Amino acid sequence: MNQQTVPAPLASGETAAEAKTKRLPFRLEFDPSRPDSPWWITIVSVLLALAACGIFIAVNGMNPVTVYAKMLTGAFGSSFGLTETLVKTIPLLLCGLGVSIAYRISVWNIGAEGQFVAGAIAATAVTVYFPGLPAYAAIPAMLVSGVAAGGLWGLLTAIPRTFFQVNELITSLMLNYVALLVLNYVVFGPWKDPQGFNFPGTPVFTEAMSLPVLGGTRLHLGLAFALAAVALYALLIRYTRWGYEWRLIGANPEAARNAGIRLSRHIMFVMLLSGGLAGLAGMAEVSGVAHRLMYGISPGYGYTAIIVAWLARLNPAGLIISSFLFGGLIVGGYSVQTIGLPSSTSSMLQGAILFFLIAGGMIGKFRLRRNV
Amino acid sequence: MRHRSKKWALATVLALSIVLVIGGCGNNGVNGGGEPEGGSETKADSGGSNAASGAGMDKPRVAFVYIGPPGDGGWTSEHDKGRKYMEEKLGIKADTVENVPESADAERVITELAQNHDIIFTTSFGYMDPTLNVAKKFPNVKFMHVSGYKTSDNMGTYFGKNFEASYLSGIAAGKMTKADHIGYVGAFPIPEVIYNINAFTLGIQSVNPDAKVSVVWSNTWFDPTVERQAAVSLLDKGADVLLAYQDSPATLQAAAERGAMAGGNDSDMTRYAPEAYLTNPVWVWGPFYTKVVQSVMDGTWTNEPYMGSMAEGLVDIAPLGPSVPDDVKELVAAKKQEILDGKLEVFKGPLLDQSGAAKVAEGQSMPLEEILGMNWFVKGVEGSIPQ
Amino acid sequence: MNEGYTVEMKQIVKQFGSVLANDRVDFRARAGEIHALLGENGAGKSTMMCMLSGVYRPTGGGIYLHGRQAGIRSPKDAMKLGVGMIFQSFRLVQSLTATENIILGESSPFWRGRGWMKTKLEEIRSLADRFGLAFPVDRPVWELSVGEQQRVEIVKTLYRGADIVILDEPTSVLTPGEAEQLFATLAHMKSEGKTVIITTHKLKEVMAVSDRISVMRKGRMIASMAKSETTERELARLMIGKQIPAARPAQARSIGKPLLTVKHLDVYAEHGRKALGDLSLQVNEGEIVGVAGVAGNGQKELAESLAGLRSWKRGTVAFDGMTFKTASVRAAMEAGISHVPENRMRSGLAGSLGIVDNLLFKSYRSPERSTLGFMRTARNRAWAQTLVEQFDVRTPGLDTPVRQLSGGNQQKLLFAREISRDPKLMVAVHPTQGLDIGAAQGVHRLLVELRETGRGVLLISEDLDEVLQLSNRILVIFGGAIVYETKGCEADRERIGLYMAGLTEEGEAV
Repeated sequence: MNQQTVPAPLASGETAAEAKTKRLPFRLEFDPSRPDSPWWITIVSVLLALAACGIFIAVNGMNPVTVYAKMLTGAFGSSFGLTETLVKTIPLLLCGLGVSIAYRISVWNIGAEGQFVAGAIAATAVTVYFPGLPAYAAIPAMLVSGVAAGGLWGLLTAIPRTFFQVNELITSLMLNYVALLVLNYVVFGPWKDPQGFNFPGTPVFTEAMSLPVLGGTRLHLGLAFALAAVALYALLIRYTRWGYEWRLIGANPEAARNAGIRLSRHIMFVMLLSGGLAGLAGMAEVSGVAHRLMYGISPGYGYTAIIVAWLARLNPAGLIISSFLFGGLIVGGYSVQTIGLPSSTSSMLQGAILFFLIAGGMIGKFRLRRNV
Repeated sequence: MRHRSKKWALATVLALSIVLVIGGCGNNGVNGGGEPEGGSETKADSGGSNAASGAGMDKPRVAFVYIGPPGDGGWTSEHDKGRKYMEEKLGIKADTVENVPESADAERVITELAQNHDIIFTTSFGYMDPTLNVAKKFPNVKFMHVSGYKTSDNMGTYFGKNFEASYLSGIAAGKMTKADHIGYVGAFPIPEVIYNINAFTLGIQSVNPDAKVSVVWSNTWFDPTVERQAAVSLLDKGADVLLAYQDSPATLQAAAERGAMAGGNDSDMTRYAPEAYLTNPVWVWGPFYTKVVQSVMDGTWTNEPYMGSMAEGLVDIAPLGPSVPDDVKELVAAKKQEILDGKLEVFKGPLLDQSGAAKVAEGQSMPLEEILGMNWFVKGVEGSIPQ
Repeated sequence: MNEGYTVEMKQIVKQFGSVLANDRVDFRARAGEIHALLGENGAGKSTMMCMLSGVYRPTGGGIYLHGRQAGIRSPKDAMKLGVGMIFQSFRLVQSLTATENIILGESSPFWRGRGWMKTKLEEIRSLADRFGLAFPVDRPVWELSVGEQQRVEIVKTLYRGADIVILDEPTSVLTPGEAEQLFATLAHMKSEGKTVIITTHKLKEVMAVSDRISVMRKGRMIASMAKSETTERELARLMIGKQIPAARPAQARSIGKPLLTVKHLDVYAEHGRKALGDLSLQVNEGEIVGVAGVAGNGQKELAESLAGLRSWKRGTVAFDGMTFKTASVRAAMEAGISHVPENRMRSGLAGSLGIVDNLLFKSYRSPERSTLGFMRTARNRAWAQTLVEQFDVRTPGLDTPVRQLSGGNQQKLLFAREISRDPKLMVAVHPTQGLDIGAAQGVHRLLVELRETGRGVLLISEDLDEVLQLSNRILVIFGGAIVYETKGCEADRERIGLYMAGLTEEGEAV
């Protein structure tokens, strides 16, 4: 037989294997069943992101410490900065909350941007078609229509997912563009301010259509909505049957099916809720901050919200912290420009944070093993 | 369990501290105007005199708000050049904030700048309402808004008659087109763009009555991809000369690839595609910015809307591209001289709109206010203005 | 000492946690033979082969190739030594072509040039032809049938120079026609001097294709002989074993009234495969009915249908005076059917959740556990604590993720949950799979307790000892139907073994 030919590879293979173990006393092993990495990984990720961006800033000829200090003081260092950061926190928190609920049951809604815009459009529709409403009627009507429109936009993703197994990542992303096109249509077309010299935006809302603000700041009632929503979310996931069912679905959908839980119903409901929250954010933004619907109403809140949700690990208290942090990042990002850095600094930081966060989560799944 | 409750505690503390800070500061009079009202803080901070109108100051703190990046090669880059010119002339340093969207963000950025600057230039039409809102809260800060129509005691506007240069560009385009079909990429259907398209068309018609002008809207000031698509759609329609009222040179580059000629806007774009370059109106902000900041230093600043002309030097036409023949260059130079001498007026009757209805009668000039609110195309333009 | 053996595995021990998968197993194979490793599911044959191919490392013992000790630490090492394994689930990249899959991982020049792939295609095609393995070499793998994908796997192994080829349950995914072709290929490989090892539990195949047969049972090597020296009947006996379990169920107990009656059930599984055909069975109160059978004969589908997870085409399911029209988990649960699923971590428990959440699975809707939509958290924790104590679940705390518990404790938890609902019928599928002896005995006690308290138990298991030991009645499932029924006290192990293997008492194939 072919025995004569075999010993050579055998011997070399053996020595190679032996040599390998002698060189490395430890090896990394991927273990997907490892429990989630501890919470401090998140903080380490953020710090690493700051450090990495610090290198770029230093290359730009700036002292990173000065820049971060400027960013901090710009965002949190004055009452003005703080209220402005909170103004940014509101849409991020609401959208982040929305996607968090969906992520809890592993429905990957990345359509918060579109749901936000849908909510903003629907809330504005109230002002366009019922211009004379008094505040006590206008605000609730805008609220309801904004939430409903966001929720329906979310359902548009949930229905194909439930009945035809269409990947929600794709539909929710595509619907973002649809919502943007609808927005452009109304602000360039039928709802354009006739006195606006063709500027793509609706007329400015009346006092009755604007959310009340705190003193002379721009901080509006939307913050109360957002905090109330987080409180409800915390209550929901910890103490209610729905929360329990979501936990189950998120942890093991097949086991949930075994427990008699109807996944399709939950997916629809959760997407309705998820979209509704983003819609609420859209309503709060037009009614509380912009006071009009205009071209480019969202600078990408729906996308930033995804990072916010992951940074918070879908935890309610974490959501408050991370949306506040990202609000500060946006505000502080403009502040650092006055000392001569480009506006991309804050985008770079956002990207770096996400990168290190994902990397950190991945590294947590590896363990160091002694080679024996 | 335990660490969850810890997190909640953290969040509560955070929320409480926020409320306290806001509440506490509110009592000190944050309401925007508080700071300039008291004045003491500002004074101590600047170490100079109060910015009350009438009184001058040595070194005013100047800020610019940009819609795009200074490297856009067009609109913002010209403003940035103007800023540097001013800095050099007056020996002061200005702050800039770039990429500020025309949304709620603008109001925050302007407010932030207003807290420690004396004069702020907001360099995009969409900043009009935010600038006005902030101006009301900071009566001691001067605001200069480009191209708008709203002013207040401490907010002025400035712009230029770039349509004069558009008219001259039209002459060059009308001479250069072989297909008698010229395309125009417009950013937004606002009067500023519309009267430039009209002036451009009138310039063309003055040398080439048969040429038609097709207009497409990109609905963006700065987005090279979209601008490029718009340009390509015009080339596909058969246009062989393009002009773009945009902030990037994308149209010029697209035309160059197809062997067509084109011009851009705001600055001399020869370097992007020398062979294909026609010409276009350019801005010369430097001397104007120097003058305005000087007036603040002298205490002579007013909120009078300023509309600079070619004769005043705020607007110019870029040198015609190397492929443009000398006779065209001479013709354009001659016409430019007529404008400088006040002999040639762009919007002078008879002017007909697209339907052929007379808008300005024979021999009459169109008043500046009407030009600035222009919302119709002259005869010969193919395209529509969304109403 | 070598005597021409290309593979020698000596005194191999493999332990997974507390479970002993292989207990001092010797295995030898020669070049130029097809060697069948026969045994029931869980007998430890796949574990043996995984060690040979470097997927696992033995806890003890030594592996010798061509008479030399081989240090196999990874599949890569094994491949270098000429050992290749074709797994039951293929490891192919669906979007790549067959050829790209085969040459994947091979070192190649950075710049491959235009002719490179063409050369490779030709090379693969001629290699495939040599062994009679026809498949489109340039098509993406997802376009290929299961049989063709298996051929890709085989060629991949051959291409990498394997002279020892292991096939794990190769016919389990094939149609009879494809299986015939596979056997021809194996014969060809044998004639080229390769060592071919197949693991299987199908007697007919073993007799059709192999030269030598080794039989494993419960992690031990029972016998090894040439095909000519044995018969199907003997193999079945060896595979199933003949020792009589010590404890026989007490038959004195009176069996109660009928609880579950299934008649003429037809069930279709994924891809339109008929899983159950005209299946009928009955379970009475106070008895354990054991369903014996080799894996993949419809056990899973039967259990899922009864639990309301899978709908049926034809037939009736009557339970405790009512008839189920369609499959509904809730209806089955509320009627009092408990289900201990086959793979507890996949469909029975949520690994990342704690004890309390896992215990609440099926009862959280009851007013005891939640009111007005709110969970009664404090109460539920106390309840969970009592269950944990009652069922002796060893856990560091009530919030410990259950995947951190041992298999035995996980199963105890699952039983605690199911029994706490006071079910009328328990459908338990492979309830002791992967458990050590102590834990398995605990599960057996729970099942007997259920019977003693007048409940019905349908015990579906591949472990014949377990079935024999516990059941009042024994049914044998084969090909989606019940082919044999006997009383527990009259059960004859050998006869059951034959039916499980698809043979009749005369030793003929059914």
